[in-house]
Amino acid sequence: MTTLAVATKQLLERLHDPTVDVDAEFVVAPTSMEEAAEILAAAADVGQAVAFYGAGTHRQIGNPVDADLVITTTAMNRIIDYQPDDLTVVVEPGVTLGELEAALTDRKLTAVLPETEPNATVGGVVAAGRSGYRRLRYGPTRDRVLQATVATGYGKVVTGGSPVVKASTGYGMTRLFTGSFGTLGLIGPVLLKLWSQPRATATIVVDDPEVARNAAYRPFAVLGTRGTGRIYLGGTKEEVEAQAEAIGGRSSDGLDWPQPHDPPLRLSFRIPARFVDEAVLAARDLDATGWVAQYGVGIVEAGYDRITSDGFAAARSWAESVGGTLVIEASPDDLRRELGAWGSPPESVELQREVKDRFDPAGICNPGILPGGI
Amino acid sequence: MARAVDELTALLGDDRVRDHPLDQHLFAKDAGLRRGGAPIVVFPESSDEVAAVVKIAGAHGMPIVARGAGTGLAGGAVPQEGSLLVVLTRMNRIFEIDEVGRTAWVGPGVVNLDLSEATADRGLHFAPDPSSQSACTIGGNVATNAGGPHCLAEGSTVAHILGVELVTADGSTVILGGEAPDTPGYDLRGVIVGSEGTLGIVTKVLVRLTENHLDAATLLMAFDTIEDAARTVSEVIAAGVVPAALEMMDKPMCVAVENFVQAGYPTDAAAVLLADVLGHPAGTAASIELLSDIAVRNGATSVRVATDESERALLWKGRKSAFGAIAQAAPDYYLNDTVVPRTRIAEVISKTYEIAERYDITLMNVFHAGDGNLHPLVSFDAAEPGMTERVVAAAREMVTVAVAAGGTLSGEHGIGFEKRDLMSSVFSPEDLDAQARLREAFDQDGVLNPGKVLPEGSRCFDWGPA
Repeated sequence: MTTLAVATKQLLERLHDPTVDVDAEFVVAPTSMEEAAEILAAAADVGQAVAFYGAGTHRQIGNPVDADLVITTTAMNRIIDYQPDDLTVVVEPGVTLGELEAALTDRKLTAVLPETEPNATVGGVVAAGRSGYRRLRYGPTRDRVLQATVATGYGKVVTGGSPVVKASTGYGMTRLFTGSFGTLGLIGPVLLKLWSQPRATATIVVDDPEVARNAAYRPFAVLGTRGTGRIYLGGTKEEVEAQAEAIGGRSSDGLDWPQPHDPPLRLSFRIPARFVDEAVLAARDLDATGWVAQYGVGIVEAGYDRITSDGFAAARSWAESVGGTLVIEASPDDLRRELGAWGSPPESVELQREVKDRFDPAGICNPGILPGGI
Repeated sequence: MARAVDELTALLGDDRVRDHPLDQHLFAKDAGLRRGGAPIVVFPESSDEVAAVVKIAGAHGMPIVARGAGTGLAGGAVPQEGSLLVVLTRMNRIFEIDEVGRTAWVGPGVVNLDLSEATADRGLHFAPDPSSQSACTIGGNVATNAGGPHCLAEGSTVAHILGVELVTADGSTVILGGEAPDTPGYDLRGVIVGSEGTLGIVTKVLVRLTENHLDAATLLMAFDTIEDAARTVSEVIAAGVVPAALEMMDKPMCVAVENFVQAGYPTDAAAVLLADVLGHPAGTAASIELLSDIAVRNGATSVRVATDESERALLWKGRKSAFGAIAQAAPDYYLNDTVVPRTRIAEVISKTYEIAERYDITLMNVFHAGDGNLHPLVSFDAAEPGMTERVVAAAREMVTVAVAAGGTLSGEHGIGFEKRDLMSSVFSPEDLDAQARLREAFDQDGVLNPGKVLPEGSRCFDWGPA
């Protein structure tokens, strides 16, 4: 064995993570980004595929990956630097959304991450580029990742972005990393911009979500589910009450988000916002067991017990014809292998490949998980 | 070079290819201090023409620099000798507006304010509002990730760009992002914003439009000390109240503005804060009260609340005329741009004054306090021997102070040439190398705006361990 191989073997043994049950030869939990970079450098050296694991919440998104080595973030789970007076926080990737939000309640702040995934990790949410329902008001998660540290596929620790709420200093590396699904390396600590929780919130049940959206002033979210529409408001008490009265419908205090169910299959229509009603019809035509439509955003997430290949192909073809995509967000691996997790690759796929090659020259980081086999 | 000019002329005609020394002189500068070399200047009117001129430049080995209105302050659009300067101001069409999705496809040459005026009757506007908004273009806003007072609540340009059409270094055209959210694959749209013309030339922009507010009030708060004003800002942010805008101006600035436009600013206060409260009619009263309370608690000597549109407009006219007003003090100015955590504003401003005193220069401050985005402005006469060098040296020290306080080099102007060599004060060699890798992925031969943003030698690491 070479010295490198011996050192690597010792490192892998020391960092072995027995808590995570995934199918891979090695499962390790580095305690720092430097360790993660060392492992990635070693994996690159021998050309072994690496996957990353937070809480496993999003692991059925993307094309299936066969990894020899899984790096987990369970040993990097601290809130490093909380600055409530500057509305920022630095969080390690293994912190769960529930833990983060709990830490922010003392000052009634929020990181505006997905509302109904308390067990998901910050690293997983950033890697998958997941946003919560409140993106209609606050923008997607990527707008709030101000700085990010990554252990790259070439085994270096790099930080992109700036430690302040507004910057035009160098390239938008945080944009590149957010939603990169671990294909450029392991996403480590991120600096997030926080918002204050409004003093009052309300959920109003409405008949027509699109009409209600136009009657409301900057709602948090406008959602449609089977049989009901809901509009979510936040602001001062007077503001919320005045709006609730103007919109009409049954109003209750607080934010009553649709509770996630775990269907065996979940599809996400991502289409221009004006096509939401049509996407709901398309989702229903495939016999959805339930769905959440985000008006004004252009996302319809629907659950299924089963789908037919023909029906799915027709729905995907429709979504792509209006400039969108139909993404499989949960399914048995075989189904994603058969149908493709993402659909047609974006026209920038060659540029994307150039980027991938420079951050992961050995092609070891979650190989093939993204569209176009990136 | 003559061959390139012939080919460009065959494509665009005489009128849209300029190599006369007067044109070259006019276009060798942006709104900053630095003058570049003489470029060949072209005025394409379509994406296809941009792609064609990029191919011609490539064939002749000419560096390519894109430019909008030239209001940038960091030298990002300043050409070097023999480059092709692609001026995009004629690509100024608004192609389509989607009221349901609240988006619009526009040309890069559309003027920022024109876009908001064109969408006003639909109750929408383009949120980023740089001080130069009556002149600067959307393409330039994309290049610098431009800001403005109202980016405090709405976010900088990057939050308002959903897609771009990009002509790449080899002259091909690609769409990044789009109307549908979360395009699968890397967010290259987000990477283009703020890339200062080094990754491609943006030939069309899909912008997000923002719903107009229903009610508005503007507060003008006066303070006896800068510290009181800065503490008010910190406390407002810490209270979780994010006004639509929160601007600070110091005494020399207020005096200059009053001489210029008579907006009713106090000239005896050490600093004023200008805050915009925009929102739903039922909510503004509470926000005004909260802001006033915090200001008074921190020693505000007066709080004036303008709810009347004409009075609000006058107060904002004062703020937006700042850069015009300073011309009365001296013929030249150097406007710096740094960002610090909102908890450190008072201390950094006070050090900035010390630096100005030490260098014996005239300092005024007008800045986006709510974001911690400082704009120390030095008014000077470049004809005075050694003055420009002294101003630049002082500005560098001011940047160092901001960085030491946990801040960064630029909030909204960009790096361009101005701060390129300061990048290593906020990024490690590994960080710069990663940025250089990204750039290389778009432009292997380094033809797009070479010499800007990243210092020489940034791409310095091999991919694997030795």
